[in-house]
Amino acid sequence: MTTEVRSGTEPVPLAGSAAGFLARVGRAAPAVPGLLVLVVLFLIPMAIMFVFSLWRTNPDFDIVSDWNLNNYARFFTIGTYLRTFGKTLLMAGLVTTAGLATALPFAYFLVRYVSKRLQRAVLLAVIVPFWTSYLLRVYAWQAILGERGALNQFLMGVGLIKEPSTLLVYNDLGVFVVLVYVYFPFAALALYAALEKFDFNQLHAAQDLGARPDQAFRHILLPQIRAGIITACIFVFIPILGEFLTPTLVGGAQGSLIANLIVNFFRGAQIPEGAALAIVVAAFVTVVLIVFRRSLRVEDVVARG
Amino acid sequence: MSSPIDSSLSRRQFLRAAGAGAVALGIGGIAAACSTPAATSSPSSAPSTAAGGSSAPGGSAAPSASQAAATGTFNWMTWSDHWYQAQLDNIGSNANIKTNITELADNSDGYTKLKEVTGQLDMISGDALWVPKYFESGLIEAWDINQLAVSKQLYSIARSFEIWTKPEGYLGYPFGWSPVQIYYDPAHVSPAPDSWQVLLDKKYAKRVVVENQPVEIMAYMGKAAGVKDPYNMTPDEVLQAKDLLKQLKPNILRLAQQNTDTVAALKSGEAWIATGNLGTDTRVKDQGGPALNVFTPKEGTIGWMDSEMIVKGGANTNVILPFLELAEQAEYVAANFILNGRPLFNEAAYKILVNQGQQERADRFLYNKPETVLTMTLKGPGASTQAAIDAFNEVFGA
Repeated sequence: MTTEVRSGTEPVPLAGSAAGFLARVGRAAPAVPGLLVLVVLFLIPMAIMFVFSLWRTNPDFDIVSDWNLNNYARFFTIGTYLRTFGKTLLMAGLVTTAGLATALPFAYFLVRYVSKRLQRAVLLAVIVPFWTSYLLRVYAWQAILGERGALNQFLMGVGLIKEPSTLLVYNDLGVFVVLVYVYFPFAALALYAALEKFDFNQLHAAQDLGARPDQAFRHILLPQIRAGIITACIFVFIPILGEFLTPTLVGGAQGSLIANLIVNFFRGAQIPEGAALAIVVAAFVTVVLIVFRRSLRVEDVVARG
Repeated sequence: MSSPIDSSLSRRQFLRAAGAGAVALGIGGIAAACSTPAATSSPSSAPSTAAGGSSAPGGSAAPSASQAAATGTFNWMTWSDHWYQAQLDNIGSNANIKTNITELADNSDGYTKLKEVTGQLDMISGDALWVPKYFESGLIEAWDINQLAVSKQLYSIARSFEIWTKPEGYLGYPFGWSPVQIYYDPAHVSPAPDSWQVLLDKKYAKRVVVENQPVEIMAYMGKAAGVKDPYNMTPDEVLQAKDLLKQLKPNILRLAQQNTDTVAALKSGEAWIATGNLGTDTRVKDQGGPALNVFTPKEGTIGWMDSEMIVKGGANTNVILPFLELAEQAEYVAANFILNGRPLFNEAAYKILVNQGQQERADRFLYNKPETVLTMTLKGPGASTQAAIDAFNEVFGA
């Protein structure tokens, strides 16, 4: 066997040799289960959906393998799909921003000023809503924000309004509020995990060296919890691109997002048409993940975030 | 509107009816098993639809009544108001026929799913013109409905619907029906409307609830525009309906996911007008909501009538007819009416309701007028589905 010898080390197989190949295969072996899951549960279904998206539905509701790009053309030529997708991106961006804006102070004060024992109790309280069905939680918001809901009753009770407001729900505002509520725990947990590992003495040190608190926050804290912030963004922004239930229940006629339009095709048995729109959204999500990937090492998310 | 039914009385009557049904069916089942010659044959020897046997009249490959003693579990895709738990428990314990139920969202959902899974289901529910669609697609069996003794309890009209009659046999066992009507709160809506146009009146901004079914909503708008066949609209008709849909949008409070959402919105007073099946007003009143008025739009309305269809190639279809023989008995159907409040096709159940003092309620729900179904535009698959969805999305998207 051809080998090269490094001083003070064992002989190492040369690249290109059979032993080298086997060594590389051996190193890759642990990735096989993950790859298998990825292929079976993600790539194959996506491939099937992609193939369907290139076919069409005939008036008899049969799917005809008549290869064409018309379903994609629909997305780019009928303004409503582009506009609704744009609105979905805007909603996802606003909810992500609001989620970070509320979760960051929450996690910061929790980690810095609350005892470890109490931290666990508070984190449990953050997770508790997950024990209830998503559907029930959104229905509960209907009861809170509705015209006869608890919030209107409260506002009238304290004299802030004279008549119940219809502006709190069945519109984009209602969708925004409920989405912030639903995704807050994801952002909070991701940021908590990042902040927990931060040594707050660094902030004191920075201020001792003349940094203002905001400078210490921006130049010392934020870079070190970057992975947590990106994780929170991924956990909040991307699922909202596929949000269907919340806009359906609290969005009324005005609050539809792109997933609502896609679902209409599937409910009408127009599967290729719906599949094409879903692929467009999935492709966008993939691009977003690639962009995030460039500014994030996987180990940051896995080990720290 | 007439006074609501006392809910505690309804519960008592329901329990009484269910109990009587259980006893009657238990005795009836035993008697049938003893007296029916076919019942003495071994269940295991019953021909299977999957095998493609053809012994039924009309050349049907569907299971025959000779399988009356068959037992087992079958797979049924249906709506939740086609059964109730006490009924299934009774049949399960008395006849040893059990059901594995999958919830059915809507007709197109059932149709596309059945095309994918075929024989993994044994029975599926479907509406009106969807039923012949299933048959033409080779998904269900035609069979002789007269094989079932219980079918004699049906209104005669229900045993001879033209759209469900084929040379091979009948396409389904008729269950229930309803026109889509418009409900409104007279305290807020005046003058009394009589047209689909009330949904578009600017006075009622954010006060209208319709169920979230794009193709159906487009059909309503088609009706409002005077379109004759709102499921097969021409491009011009789609445009007309779309224009009306644009007027409807600002009036929509919410798109209800199911009838309970509609009832909740009407009950709370958030909605003043809603489309719905027969009985929505009673459900609102029963829950403490306002007294509603109801009308059938003068332009005509959409309606549904549904049936239970036997899936072609189903692995357990040998238990379907024995199951229907029990599940469609008048006592169960009467109890189902009290629970869910819309007309059903079982005439004997109507007589039970009359004897129970429920005639006013039953008549108000047109239970005694099954011929009304012939005046409705029936739900069905249409050639304009894709255009209707695009139009709906264009209006309700951003």
